[in-house]
Amino acid sequence: MRISEQAKQENRARILEKAAEIFTGKGFDAATTRDIALAAGLAAGTMFNYFPSKETLAMTMVTEALDQGQSDFRRRRSGKEGLTEEIFLFVASGLRRLRPLRPFLGPVLERSLSPFPRKNICPQGEVAHQKHLAVVQEIIVRHGFTQAPEYVAMTIYWSLYLGILAFWANDESPNQEATQALIDYSIRMFVQVISGTGANTGEAHAG
Amino acid sequence: MQADKIIEKELLNILPKNRRTDPTGKRLAELLTRIAQKKVPVNSFLRIWTLGSLQAKVTAGYFAYWLRSRFSDAGEKQRLKSEAHLAAALKMFGTMGYLRGAIMKLGQLLANLPEVVPEEFADVLAALHFEAPPMHYALVREVFLDEFGREPEELFASFDCQAFAAASLGQVHRARLHSGEEVAVKIQYPGIARTIKADLRNLRLLLQPLCLTRDWQNTLDNLADLEQMLLMETDYEQEARFGKEARSIFKAGDRVVVPLVYEKYSTKRVLTTEYLQGCHLNEFLARNPSQAQRDHFTHLLTVATFRVFYRLRWLPADPHPGNFIFMDDGSLGMIDFGCTRVLNDEDWLLSWESIEAGLDRDQPRMNRAIAKTCLFDDPREMSAHHLKTIREGFEWFMEPWLQEGIFDFGDRDFFRRGVDNFAEGVRKKYTRCVAMSLWSNRFTFGGRAFCYRLKGRCEFRKIFLQEYAWRKAGDM
Repeated sequence: MRISEQAKQENRARILEKAAEIFTGKGFDAATTRDIALAAGLAAGTMFNYFPSKETLAMTMVTEALDQGQSDFRRRRSGKEGLTEEIFLFVASGLRRLRPLRPFLGPVLERSLSPFPRKNICPQGEVAHQKHLAVVQEIIVRHGFTQAPEYVAMTIYWSLYLGILAFWANDESPNQEATQALIDYSIRMFVQVISGTGANTGEAHAG
Repeated sequence: MQADKIIEKELLNILPKNRRTDPTGKRLAELLTRIAQKKVPVNSFLRIWTLGSLQAKVTAGYFAYWLRSRFSDAGEKQRLKSEAHLAAALKMFGTMGYLRGAIMKLGQLLANLPEVVPEEFADVLAALHFEAPPMHYALVREVFLDEFGREPEELFASFDCQAFAAASLGQVHRARLHSGEEVAVKIQYPGIARTIKADLRNLRLLLQPLCLTRDWQNTLDNLADLEQMLLMETDYEQEARFGKEARSIFKAGDRVVVPLVYEKYSTKRVLTTEYLQGCHLNEFLARNPSQAQRDHFTHLLTVATFRVFYRLRWLPADPHPGNFIFMDDGSLGMIDFGCTRVLNDEDWLLSWESIEAGLDRDQPRMNRAIAKTCLFDDPREMSAHHLKTIREGFEWFMEPWLQEGIFDFGDRDFFRRGVDNFAEGVRKKYTRCVAMSLWSNRFTFGGRAFCYRLKGRCEFRKIFLQEYAWRKAGDM
C-alpha cells in the first residue's frame, strides 16, 4: 500500500520527535533504532526507509537546527557588524538552536563531524559541515579578508568550531556562558590569523 | 607601545630600590624590562586587550616589587632561588591576564594610591577604569537572550550598541525604557566567575613557594576572603539589593543619590539602574573646579560613606573614582555596590573598639585593639616595631576624626605619611590581619586617595558625630 506524501511527512516528524525524547532520556549510545520505531508506532524496517541509521537521524536534527540558526543569523544581522562580530553572531545563533539537543549531542557530533576520514561518512554530517563553511566563507568574503589560503583558513576555522562544539556539549556553566567566552576568544584569534595583521578585528568600539 | 615605555620608566622611578642589594636600581630595571618585554598573552594575542594588559603589567611591576621585598634580607642563595620563583610567578601572572577580573581589581586598587606614584601616572591608571576592553554587541545580545529571552532592542525602547563605560566585570550601555526613563545597563562578561576562581587558584600556586612563613595560613585565609568578595561582585542581584537598601537611607536634602534599580530589567548578569547625569573625577577636575566645589563633594563623599557605615554597617570596599558621579545638579552619585563588605558583629565590635580608643587617645586600649586586628592575643606578642608601625598607621587614620573644624585631605604631607606607613608595613611583611582589615584599608586608602586628588576639605569630625548619632538603634 502506498502512503500519501502528507503521511510520509507526518511519520518523519514523529520519528524525529520520538528520537529526540529517547536520545535525551536514554542517551544517544544506549538508544536503539528499535526503541525509536516502537515509540513512533512503526515497524523497524519501515523506519529505515526514512532514516538509515541512528546517526543520520540525529544529524538530521542537527542540520535542521543549524538551518534554523542560519535563518536566525540572517534575520538578526544588521549589516553593521565587523567580521569578528558577524562570525560570532552566526556561531551563537546556531548553538542557540542546537541547545535543546545538547543533552545527547556529544557522541553524535563526535561520530558525524569528525575531521578524520571515516569509512561510513554520515551524509547529513557532511551536509551540515559544508553548509556551515559556506556561510563562514560568505561572511569572510563580505568583509574582504584574503590573507590566508582558503583551505588553511577553513581548516583552522573548522578545527576551532569543532573544539567549541566539544566544549559546549560538556559545558556545565549556566547557559553555557563559559562557551560564549570561548567563542569570543576563538573567533578573535581566527580573525587575527586570516586578516594577517590583526589590524582590523572589526570592533567599532575597540579603541 | 609608547605608553608601555613611559610606564616602565615611571615604575622604575617610583619603585623603591633595595639599598643594600640593589642600590642603583639596576636589577630592578632589568626585572622591569623583562616584564615589559614579556608579552602578556592577551596583548600579543588580541589587539583589544592592550589596555587591559598594560594594567596587568603595571600590576605585575608592583607585584614583583612586593615579592622581592620579602627576600630583601635573605642571603644570595635564597635571593637567587626567590628570583627563579619570581620569574615563574611572572610567567603565570601573564596567563592570569586572559580575562578581566582579579587583575583589574588589583590594578584599580593600585590606581587609587596616587602618592605611591606621581600624579600624572595615577591619572593614566584612573582613566583605565573606564577604558577596559569591550564586548561586541553580538555577545551582549547573547547575554540578553540568556538572561531575558529577548534582544536588548526588544526589551528597551532604545539601546545603545556601544558601551559608554567599562565596569570591572563587564561594561555599561545606555538605554531608554518604554516608559521613557533613561537607564544605565551593566552587562557582565560571560563566565567571569570561573576566571576569578582560576586566577586565584593560580595566585595561590605562585605564592606558595614564596610564602612558607608563619603567616602563610593567614595569607590563604585572606585570599579565600578576597575570592569570596570578588565572586560576590559577580552577582548583580545581590548588588541590586545593596543599591536598593543604600538608596533608602538618603533623603533628597542629603544630595547623595543612589540610582534606582529597575528589577524587571535586572538579573544576576545584567543590572539596570537609573542613568545619572554627570561626570567622573577626572572630568570634574579638568573643569578646574573652585575650592568650594571641591569641598562640597568631599563633604558629600564623607557623609555618604559614614552614613552607610553607621546605618548599614557597610564598608563600600571599592571606592575607586568610577563609582562616584559628580552630578550636574551638585549631588554626588554612588553607583556601584558590587564590592560592599557587610561587617559581622565581631568585626563591628572590633572596629568600634579601635575607633573609640583612637577618639580617646587611649594608647593601651589602642594597642590591644591593634593586637586583635593583627591576630595576636596580646600586644606584647608583637615586636615593638610591628606594634609601633601599625599604631602609627592607625593614628594617621584617626587624624581627621580628632581635628575640630576643617580637615584638608588635599594636604600632600598628610597623604604621604599614610602611604609611607603603608609601604613600611608591606616592607616589613606586617601583613597578618583579620580579613576585615584588608577591606577597611582598601576603603580608607581608596577614599583618601580620591579626596586627595580632589584636593578637598570638609568638617570630617562634625560629619562623623552627626552620622554616628544616627547609628542603628542598639549599636554602641
